[in-house]
Amino acid sequence: MKYELVCGLETHVELSTKTKIFCGCRSHFGSDPNTNCCPICIGLPGTLPKLNKEVVRYAIMAGLATHCEINLVSKMDRKNYVYPDLSKAYQISQYDLPLCKNGYVELESGKKIRIDRIHIEEDAGKLVHKGKDVLIDYNRGGVPLIEIVTCPDISSSDEAKEYIEKLQSIMRYIDVSDCKMQEGSMRCDVNISVRPEGESEFGVRTEIKNMNSITFITKAIDYEYERQVDVIKNGGKIFQETLRYLEESNSTESMRNKENANDYRYFREPDLVTIKTSKEDLEKYKSQLPEFADARFNRYIDEYGISQSDAKLLVKYKKVSDFFEKSIKGISKPKIICNLILGVIFRYIENESDKQEFNIKVSPESLNELVMLLQENKININLAKKYLGQMMETGKKVLEIIPKDSLQGISEEEVKEICKKIIDSNENAVKDYLSGKDKALKFLLGQVMKETKGKANAKFIEEHLMGLIKKA
Amino acid sequence: MVDRSEIINIAKLSKLFIDESEIDEVTKQMDSIIKFANEVQNVSAKGSSFDNVGGLVNVLRSDDVKDSFDRELILKNAGDTKDGYFCVKKSK
Repeated sequence: MKYELVCGLETHVELSTKTKIFCGCRSHFGSDPNTNCCPICIGLPGTLPKLNKEVVRYAIMAGLATHCEINLVSKMDRKNYVYPDLSKAYQISQYDLPLCKNGYVELESGKKIRIDRIHIEEDAGKLVHKGKDVLIDYNRGGVPLIEIVTCPDISSSDEAKEYIEKLQSIMRYIDVSDCKMQEGSMRCDVNISVRPEGESEFGVRTEIKNMNSITFITKAIDYEYERQVDVIKNGGKIFQETLRYLEESNSTESMRNKENANDYRYFREPDLVTIKTSKEDLEKYKSQLPEFADARFNRYIDEYGISQSDAKLLVKYKKVSDFFEKSIKGISKPKIICNLILGVIFRYIENESDKQEFNIKVSPESLNELVMLLQENKININLAKKYLGQMMETGKKVLEIIPKDSLQGISEEEVKEICKKIIDSNENAVKDYLSGKDKALKFLLGQVMKETKGKANAKFIEEHLMGLIKKA
Repeated sequence: MVDRSEIINIAKLSKLFIDESEIDEVTKQMDSIIKFANEVQNVSAKGSSFDNVGGLVNVLRSDDVKDSFDRELILKNAGDTKDGYFCVKKSK
């Protein structure tokens, strides 16, 4: 019998607000332990949390960007559990009235991964296990999170990967989170069950907690699928439990039996009042949604004739795509800019996270200026590449790099004259070309380019040279 | 009626230790507490809501950074600390 995978993801996304969800402490990652804390976020008795306005807006934006309905009336609830990462012994979260519900993320195949809900909550502190001690840093305690919960619509590890990447892209495009999995600002809990193909009932599911790498998520899903199928085929039973994924051995181990929802004894958070969103605000948020990666991807291909693979790279990084958009103003062939970004600028940026940040020394205006010169035939593409390299290294503008006299450009007449001169002084090359050696033409072209200091258009020279040779 | 197994479960969730010999007594006490609290259910609450008392909505703060407390103060009430961290013993 064949078994199919049924998988759902709960994704925690840390919001990039300046402060925490219920107090004014900074939500900065990487500070010294317990330096971004106050009585509210370490949960001292008698303190009163106050909800950060931006958290609500960010969460609603996330909901709108994933086609969710927004609950115009919403509230916070207490989720009770005892563990040292929560000093209050409860987490303030949302239970039955999440801010967003019933959305979806569409995969390339057209399949929609439905989103059941998106709610806001506070992150817990970070535990460091050291020998017999558990050290606690509450800097992360109170950092705002949204939890995005899918329906069990994912049926392969590839789909899980694509869904997470799409979600990352969407969250980055609306600028609510940097979604850095390695820093923990995006983490997934993976729910997995299996069932005989064609069966409509769900099998018993297990949950793998706190995954923060796409590679390991796909490995964990594949492993857990195999494990469950194995157990069932050997007549065993799957127990509902929480698992931990072990990277070294690519396997899972049991953490605890899954607590049922009512074991968390949710009840309304009495310290926080109802959250209402007006229809006007909702319309305002809708109008703030940017054009997303998928739409830009299609536009780049249709309007600018950029190849699929290049368009994919451009839109992969929001800041790169924004840079591209800004630098193409007045440029007749935006494809050239695309090539310069991917072919020259990217050579100076080593890793993914730097591409994501895209903090470079060249401004879009300055790249525009350079390509304008190219467009006006004042420089050729090879020079443009060379200058752009220098601009990336020095941060100078193109006009500060180019020698003044070379900007005069060169007239067609001058180019024609030089062509003639080169042909006259290279009889052998002309003979070679006439005897079928195409390379000889490239040599002549090179000579003309040298003489014109690269200012002339290569295509024009080539055609003119051929014309001259034929006449001779 | 509250029964023994519920008390054992609640104790486990709350990480409370209740001696076997005390369970019956605690069960009885919890049962009377629940009965007492349940009287609230007899009140007719039509038209008024105990949820969100006062009817306040959107008490929100803007996303402005405020100074955090000195770490020394934050750790002052901790039972144990180490290298700027709160420190607890690993549970068995």
